Amino acid sequence: MTSRLMFRVLAALVAFTVLARIPVGFDVGFKFDSALAVIWAFGLLSLVLLTGYVGQISLCQATFAGVGAYATGLMVAGFHTDYLVAVGVGVAAAFTLGVIVGIPALRLRGITLAIVTLGIALVFDRYVFQDHAFEWFTGGTAGWRVDRATMFGLQMDSSKHLMSAYIVLLALFCVVALLMVNLHDSGAGRRLRAIRDSELSAATMGVNLTRYKLLAFGMSAAIAGLGGSFYPLVAGSVSPQPFWLFTSLQFAAIAVLMGVRYVPAAALGGVFMAVVPDVLTRFGHGTFMGHAYEISYDWFQIAVGVLLIVQLIALPDGVWGDLRARVRHARSAAGAIGGRKVKVA
Amino acid sequence: MTMLRVRDMTVRFGGIVALDGVSLDLNRGEILGMIGPNGAGKTTLFNCISGVIRPDHGSVLFETNDLTYAPPHRRAQLGIARTFQNLQLWGSMTVQENLMVPMDALGRRNTFSDALYLPFSAYAERASSERARAILHVLDLGRYARTLAGDLPAGIQRRVEIARALAMRPKLLLLDEPAAGLDAQETAHLAELLHAVRERFHVSMLLVDHDMSLVMRVCDFVYVLDFGKLLARGRPAAIRNDPKVVAAYLGEESKKLTGDVMTVAAARKEEPPLLEVDRLAAGYGGLEVIRDVTLSVRPGEVVACIGANGAGKTTTLRAISGMIHPRAGHVVFAGRDVTGSPAERITKLGLVHIPEGRGLFPTISVEDTLRLVSNSAGHEVDIAPAFQLFPRLRERRRQLVGTLSGGEQQMVALARAILSEPRLVMIDEMSQGLAPTVVRQLFEIVRVFREQGIAVLLVEQFVESALDVADRAYVFEHGTIALSGPAVELRSDRTLVTGSYLGTAADASAIAAANGNGHHIDPALMEVMSVRVPAKVKRALEQRAENEGRPAGAVVVELLGKVDDQ
Repeated sequence: MTSRLMFRVLAALVAFTVLARIPVGFDVGFKFDSALAVIWAFGLLSLVLLTGYVGQISLCQATFAGVGAYATGLMVAGFHTDYLVAVGVGVAAAFTLGVIVGIPALRLRGITLAIVTLGIALVFDRYVFQDHAFEWFTGGTAGWRVDRATMFGLQMDSSKHLMSAYIVLLALFCVVALLMVNLHDSGAGRRLRAIRDSELSAATMGVNLTRYKLLAFGMSAAIAGLGGSFYPLVAGSVSPQPFWLFTSLQFAAIAVLMGVRYVPAAALGGVFMAVVPDVLTRFGHGTFMGHAYEISYDWFQIAVGVLLIVQLIALPDGVWGDLRARVRHARSAAGAIGGRKVKVA
Repeated sequence: MTMLRVRDMTVRFGGIVALDGVSLDLNRGEILGMIGPNGAGKTTLFNCISGVIRPDHGSVLFETNDLTYAPPHRRAQLGIARTFQNLQLWGSMTVQENLMVPMDALGRRNTFSDALYLPFSAYAERASSERARAILHVLDLGRYARTLAGDLPAGIQRRVEIARALAMRPKLLLLDEPAAGLDAQETAHLAELLHAVRERFHVSMLLVDHDMSLVMRVCDFVYVLDFGKLLARGRPAAIRNDPKVVAAYLGEESKKLTGDVMTVAAARKEEPPLLEVDRLAAGYGGLEVIRDVTLSVRPGEVVACIGANGAGKTTTLRAISGMIHPRAGHVVFAGRDVTGSPAERITKLGLVHIPEGRGLFPTISVEDTLRLVSNSAGHEVDIAPAFQLFPRLRERRRQLVGTLSGGEQQMVALARAILSEPRLVMIDEMSQGLAPTVVRQLFEIVRVFREQGIAVLLVEQFVESALDVADRAYVFEHGTIALSGPAVELRSDRTLVTGSYLGTAADASAIAAANGNGHHIDPALMEVMSVRVPAKVKRALEQRAENEGRPAGAVVVELLGKVDDQ
């Protein structure tokens, strides 16, 4: 067990070292994409916990991220706190909202829960992030500007220090991802997974459903909020658009596409969500055999839809889940003997 | 000392009184049995005690705590564990993990120390996993520790459920139909296991089951429910002879079929087969469950598939009806090759499959369920014949299928099948979880099917009843057909009795006994014999034993020895 823990820490360190270097040498646009990829990866990671581990459905993960982003913006621009303190507040705000959203989930499941969370996303999108009544929270139509942010007393201006923001984000992601993997195999993780497989027997075997469902929603919202809290730092300001309803739906779609039970799939999905649309808009126009063409962002949405259908047929456990199973199968066929072990990487 | 007191329990579902003022006492160290026909309220009472249902009236007292309205996890903390009739293991987790959830759910670990993998959590983790292994070892499940619970056959899953319940260190273990779906041999093992569990883990038990052999063997005291009321209570021997109980629950001995079976079967030999299965192979994932299965069903014929659990009977039906894709071989139905055709197309050709668990829609009313047949038939279907066949369904036509008892649900499934005017109906485990009286009614319906010229392919645990109604039978063993022939012959075939029936373990113990002094009787074997051996064979054995002046077990042992020699 301990050797497995060592392996995981090592894997996280290697992943961090490699990923931290990738954006170096690219233009600002790509550096922005990289940081955004980590923010979205947090959003997807929150679904790995909530849907992958506990089996609950949520279509308002982007709302949690948005609440984290706005709370952070408010703290930095309104109260001039250190950015990390502001992130703490943002995560706490998201956690609180998550627990509140979790209350209906104690009674509802499946499609009804999906509709309720969809409603919450809609309400926040329309009547909080974009409404005058909440300008104290959202900073009005201009949003909060955080270009004088400091972290540990160091300047973290988004235009000049995008890479530092990216590295802080990435380090945090690696730590949270590691904790998530540990959680999966731990006692608490087993209790959460027991709820996913059978709520009825989980309750009769001593799992406190109220506590663990609320905790799962809270932690999931906190993870999404942690990513969202860095959005102002990366983008320089907060606006409602990145956290609208559609982002929540995209989280759900891409989490399933990549494999909702697997932590690394969240990273994969984050990159997919941030980089592919940008590449499409940047290089998706020109002339081909004399015909002018233009691939807009809309094409990305369509592509996600098509890929989702293909995945559900060909790779039912998600891109990461199925490819991993295939690699393992090939490896065990190559000689290893032993019982079937199932663990989430 | 009384451990559990249930007082005046009353539960109403809508207008139906499921439980009407039932009281029950359970002493420390006791194994208490609860029996009764379907719909008697056993499961309802059970759910009240385990906290899944809140009673309208009455109280549950456990030791000194009032548990009437306590949530399930609170009951778990106080030491009440339960198993589920419809297997509620956490399928995507390993067997060991299944045991560890209740262990540490009751411990003092928290989520954050677990995620951080603090030394405290690591220590607790090791302790839990060692205890889990110890329990698995006692229940002879050690080799499945790392297998996913969902991948195990149902019989093993039942044992894992008991192991998981024991992982909570319960004082009281509630067992909901632990013998459902087990064959005679497995049931005998279960009885031994439960006694061993009481010795080793010092638990009291409340057991609900249909299997009289289990209840009578295991329990110290038995409560009998009927129509939501307490009908009788007493020691098993007294209950067995109580005329009220016999009338309500056990019914009368089934009437033997008159001798026209042979002629019916013979007359139909001339016709070409309706269903022909040729060297069929199928399985799930990496597992091949059946291979080289060759069988046929002629029009209007009743054919039974019998054999131990896991022998491949259900998989064969699924491969025929297109629910799973065959890996090799052919399925020809009504002259058409339907190998691997989608299930709905096969259904349209007139082959209806009633799966295990009946495949009904719980939130649709009886009447609407029957009317749905019009949809697949493509024209309006008159549902009156169904009510003629099952008058009970007419009374309950507006009721949701999910609120019916198991026997009534099976009636709905059969009624739905017959309305679609099938040529062949395949019924998987029709009698599972049903009381003997209901089972007998259902077998009568199978006979009606045949009279109407509908062929039936039955998969059945109640071998005796199946062979009574069937023209021919196939005996499955280890994924293929070991034996086949007319039901009348099979009924008196002792290879069937000794081989597929008792299973290899019983064989081994019997033969071992024969090698000793030839007179030693294995009690487990005798119990199995007295439970499900065809009455004719049993009578013949008893007759012979009486003539020779020795116990029937010794005769069986001798016969087994002869089989071994051949």
